[in-house]
Amino acid sequence: MSERLNVKDLITVGIFSVIIIVLIFIFGMLGYVPILMIALPILAALICGVPYMLFLTRVSKFGMVTLMGLIMGIVMFLSGHTWVPIVTFTVCAFIADCILKMGNYSSIKNSIISHGVFIIGIMGNMLPFFILKDAFMSAMRTSMGNDYVNVVAPFLQTNVLIVLFILTFICGLISAYIGKLVLKKHFERAGIA
Amino acid sequence: MGLELNFRIAPRTKIIILAIISFMVFNDVPMYVSGILVLIPFVCLFFSDYKKAAVIYILAYVIAKYLQMAVLPNATGILAIVLITFSYTATRMLPILMMGYYTIMTTKVSEFIASMEKSNVPKDITIPVSVVFRYIPSVFEEIRSITKAMKMRGFGFTFKSLKSPLKMVEFYMIPILISAVKTSDELSAASLTRGLSNPKKRTNLISVKFNKFDYLFIAISIAGIAVYIYYLCGGALIA
Repeated sequence: MSERLNVKDLITVGIFSVIIIVLIFIFGMLGYVPILMIALPILAALICGVPYMLFLTRVSKFGMVTLMGLIMGIVMFLSGHTWVPIVTFTVCAFIADCILKMGNYSSIKNSIISHGVFIIGIMGNMLPFFILKDAFMSAMRTSMGNDYVNVVAPFLQTNVLIVLFILTFICGLISAYIGKLVLKKHFERAGIA
Repeated sequence: MGLELNFRIAPRTKIIILAIISFMVFNDVPMYVSGILVLIPFVCLFFSDYKKAAVIYILAYVIAKYLQMAVLPNATGILAIVLITFSYTATRMLPILMMGYYTIMTTKVSEFIASMEKSNVPKDITIPVSVVFRYIPSVFEEIRSITKAMKMRGFGFTFKSLKSPLKMVEFYMIPILISAVKTSDELSAASLTRGLSNPKKRTNLISVKFNKFDYLFIAISIAGIAVYIYYLCGGALIA
């Protein structure tokens, strides 16, 4: 925390939060197919690697990643997810920030791991389904009909949740690696990475 | 009508209402509870030059609610899932989406920053959030123009392109990211010339004081949330 964030950093945080949020929302539309709703964190993890790695090329101070998590949580809250994403996004982004700090914001290995941790924050969108399972199921039965519930119900178990956490983490690592490759292919040549 | 000319609510009120509505969408409540809060975005849009959007919104909501109540309990099969998707999206997400649309379209960035500064929110949060508000519409604009450019060169959304979805993702993502980087550089330069990085307290031309509409809307939405909480707790006690 030795140096304060200046306006340029804050604007960068805002712009990249928008990109990641828009990507998550566009792919979130797939969630209306019953099975894919559960797989949503994995999809998001696969997508967000490229913008996140590009974002990291502009990060050199502690706090930027944490701030991005907070902003994304706030936008998630204002767009009809519960307050849970604010907490999970901020905590995960803080851990990711610490990992980056250990690598001095230049280590590739640390950036890839930090994306894996950061993207776990999106599980906050799913957690209410698991915690409030019973209340949620009865509410869904009235609002979305029996068919939908019967398809989704077997997936709302605790061990599925654990598998989902691990898969999200692994997909985060993979997509961060892909992001690194894309960065080399497109952005370094254009001179903006 | 004098009402239309003066209708303007402060950014803080909009954000309070947005938060309250987004608190409501998650649980299923009967019509008389959610009705008030569904009408708030309608009224806001209707009295501020977005009459068409307001009418479309309320029609879509009524149709979806009717489907949900009258048709769905008996329906089965694929058609039911499609209808469910529509009615679920409309009844849960439409109020919050319209309120968000209203907030983004009618709040100027300087207004937003002024009102946030008044309630002592640190600059580290207000600047990114105002960038987010400002930049979301232009991302969609960019997506539209990328689609047009791709059509011109023969990559439309056809069955052929759906065969290689990864390529489509790449074609969309790279231009968006490049323009995002450019925008962030330009915005930084613009903010420098406006003196946003000045640590002193800023003065503002626009007054963001609460007027009578603000108090009215906050009172209505707080009453709505009170009824909502009462209903939830009452329901729990009975069950």
